Amino acid sequence: MAQYTEHEHDVLIIGAGGAGLRAAIEASAAGVKVGLVCKSLLGKAHTVMAEGGIAAALANTDERDSWKVHFADTMRGGQYVNNWRMAELHAKEAPDRVRELEAWGAVFDRTRDGKILQRNFGGHKYPRLAHVGDRTGLEMLRTLQDHGIHQGVDVHMEITIVSLIREGDRVAAAFGYERERGLFHLFRAKAIILCTGGIGRAYSITSNSWECTGDGHTLAYDVGAELIDMEFVQFHPTGMVWPPSVRGILVTEGVRGEGGILTNQEGRRFMFDDIPENYRPQTADNEEEGWRYTQGDRAARRPPELLTRDHVARCIVREIKAGRGSPHGGVFLDISWIKKKISHSEAHIKKKLPSMYHQFIKLAGVDITREAMEVGPTTHYIMGGIHVDADSQMATKVQGLFAAGECAAGINGANRLGGNSLSDLLVFGKRAGEYAAKFAKDHGATKVDDKQVDVAAKRTLEPFERQGSADGPYQIQHTLQEMMQHHVGIVRTDEEMAQAVEHLKHLRKQEAVVAVKGNREYNPGWHTALDLHNLLTVSEAITMAARVRKESRGGHFRADFPQKSDEFSKVNNVIRRDKNGAMQISTLPIPAMPAELEQAIKSEMS
Amino acid sequence: MSKSVALKIKRQDSLNAPPRWEEFEVPWQEHLNVHAALMEVQRKPQTRDGKRVAPVVWDANCLEEVCGSCTMIINGRVRQACSALCDTLEQPIELRPMTKYPLIRDLAVDRSRIFADFKRVRAFVDLDGTHDLGPGPRYSPTMAETRYEMSRCMACGCCMEACPNYGPQSQFIGAASVSQARLFNLHPSGHMHADARLDALAEPGGVQDCGNAQNCVQVCPKEIPLTTSLADMMGATAKHALSSLFRK
Repeated sequence: MAQYTEHEHDVLIIGAGGAGLRAAIEASAAGVKVGLVCKSLLGKAHTVMAEGGIAAALANTDERDSWKVHFADTMRGGQYVNNWRMAELHAKEAPDRVRELEAWGAVFDRTRDGKILQRNFGGHKYPRLAHVGDRTGLEMLRTLQDHGIHQGVDVHMEITIVSLIREGDRVAAAFGYERERGLFHLFRAKAIILCTGGIGRAYSITSNSWECTGDGHTLAYDVGAELIDMEFVQFHPTGMVWPPSVRGILVTEGVRGEGGILTNQEGRRFMFDDIPENYRPQTADNEEEGWRYTQGDRAARRPPELLTRDHVARCIVREIKAGRGSPHGGVFLDISWIKKKISHSEAHIKKKLPSMYHQFIKLAGVDITREAMEVGPTTHYIMGGIHVDADSQMATKVQGLFAAGECAAGINGANRLGGNSLSDLLVFGKRAGEYAAKFAKDHGATKVDDKQVDVAAKRTLEPFERQGSADGPYQIQHTLQEMMQHHVGIVRTDEEMAQAVEHLKHLRKQEAVVAVKGNREYNPGWHTALDLHNLLTVSEAITMAARVRKESRGGHFRADFPQKSDEFSKVNNVIRRDKNGAMQISTLPIPAMPAELEQAIKSEMS
Repeated sequence: MSKSVALKIKRQDSLNAPPRWEEFEVPWQEHLNVHAALMEVQRKPQTRDGKRVAPVVWDANCLEEVCGSCTMIINGRVRQACSALCDTLEQPIELRPMTKYPLIRDLAVDRSRIFADFKRVRAFVDLDGTHDLGPGPRYSPTMAETRYEMSRCMACGCCMEACPNYGPQSQFIGAASVSQARLFNLHPSGHMHADARLDALAEPGGVQDCGNAQNCVQVCPKEIPLTTSLADMMGATAKHALSSLFRK
């Protein structure tokens, strides 16, 4: 029998980023007993690193904006394989969620007449992002954390959940270990919400923190839930490429929103060379018009630097491969050039992009008010994740299991627009909290099957009992990250992905025998060994779905199928574990859209 | 021989275990920061004299000085490891854990007291979500800028570490909590509960325990005007106490 400490909650939330905290606040306000488990310290989750802003059609900066335009932008960005109901709810509810955050004490940049100021971002027709300089994530997380801690939520910090326990078709508990002392904990709950974020650490170049190892994706998959859209991974076009110790760290799209331009070694603005057909009518065809757009001229069209992230990332890769890149293997992103346009550009840049200024001067010794930055694509976000009901956020095949934020899927389709993730966290974090609390009130306590707990405990301790392995956990993780970066990255082919499948099989075998030394007390090697299962599971799912989608769409680009296909425009890929524990894939037709939503898209296209 | 970076780290297995010093050497890289150097040590946890040891433990998250997790004492100064560039530091670079919080292991400490103190000064806005928020309050860009400076706080603990009046033996809540109270008192809806925050600041361990050493403002990595917040709240607390006295 495994030794563990028991806890009992009505609603248990796993992950304390934006979605988790918002869900905790909502569930707790509904009067149920809420527990919140997180891997790191409270207030340090990956949301803290979000920079640009929260997309919401407040229509403060441009009164032509509305939820319908935001909805149409989100669908076009996602290349129409989004869950349209989620995109609708998101566009309708985001403004209220932003106002609520402000009422709870958040600071936002203001318009001259005292309203929340909104900024331009890629793929958004009007200035739509409510922001606080370029550190919106910190402001959001700080406000939610300050608001959450007084509400009586039980916070369990520095605990990693390794397994969910089932009772029939319902989730009954979560089992995990304390990172500090290695002791086991069992959290019984009537409903569980996964808010674990992304999978960036499956790749070698990523903007994601160490926590983003696909935990929620894997916990849900292992307990029988479905994953959808896993082929869609977003590579953010602008990550730092130099110096090596900060490679991958994000450079906000806000830099381009404020007038920053992308150039190659020859000084050419290469983004003007390739503007996709469906964005041509709303994209500037000369530099002057692009500049006017970033300065708020409503008659101007946006510069090509603000096209969707997938497209910009591929254009950058093309320049680098053609030998027109910067000295350290990126391209140039330049905001300092605006000194030609405005007089006190130095103070202006520092005011609009304070964290970026700080980040580059401190970490890279580059003064962005005087010189260009070197940037290149970095693994940033996964559109795919746990398949959920749009309204309640409950997982499709497991009763009482909910998911919100990056680990849930649907709203973003094939590509996410910048700013839509912070609003996604708020809108669906709230919904998940609300519906999980309701589920907990409507359903009785769960029974926990001791056998499942014993299996989980045994699996967790196995790495200590093994005799030793050729590669340690860090080496296996490193091999996996390099392999995914090269074989299932920005540009994909079936040949390379077939090799990836073989590599993954081999890495699975290594994971099954990996050994760690020492004891359970704060043992980072052990933690890494346990994370491998999650990283491998999401990598297998991404590769499997990417091979099946024989077309290019959004974040998924196939060099062997560079066009969009009609056949694949109508389906989502769904991944499940079959009875024998093997990964299985099927396609799910996308349901027809109601007339009102069809109309919203059509009127925006004309 | 290629260039290298030397680290001297204070190790301790748990709160009550005896501390020890260990020295490490990692390959030099341009712009290498202390966090990245620690990652090198973790990959190959071997001391300078060739002894295999347990990997060093420290907290880290964002790696861009936004979250404050990797705060530690580097060559005698409390700061974040991610923004401490090795080339700017004298070697061997000496790393110690913060001293004002209970030690977890090596360079990791338990900072949950900060959250308890935020709660104590009511650094939140009471709203139950049952009423329509409408278009939201208007407030001036100037006010937003004043609040902006304080809202950059990432609860890293630097100001408390440097404060002579803050510590395990004292109840003082420290500059970060006082500044958070001010941040919320300046908010249009937060202002409704300004008195409750001032009452909390007047309790034992409150703002009057500040000894005006002004170390906090010197170590704050986000350059928050902490001494302005302390002075402002000290004045507001005194004024509030006086006026409640007269109202009785």
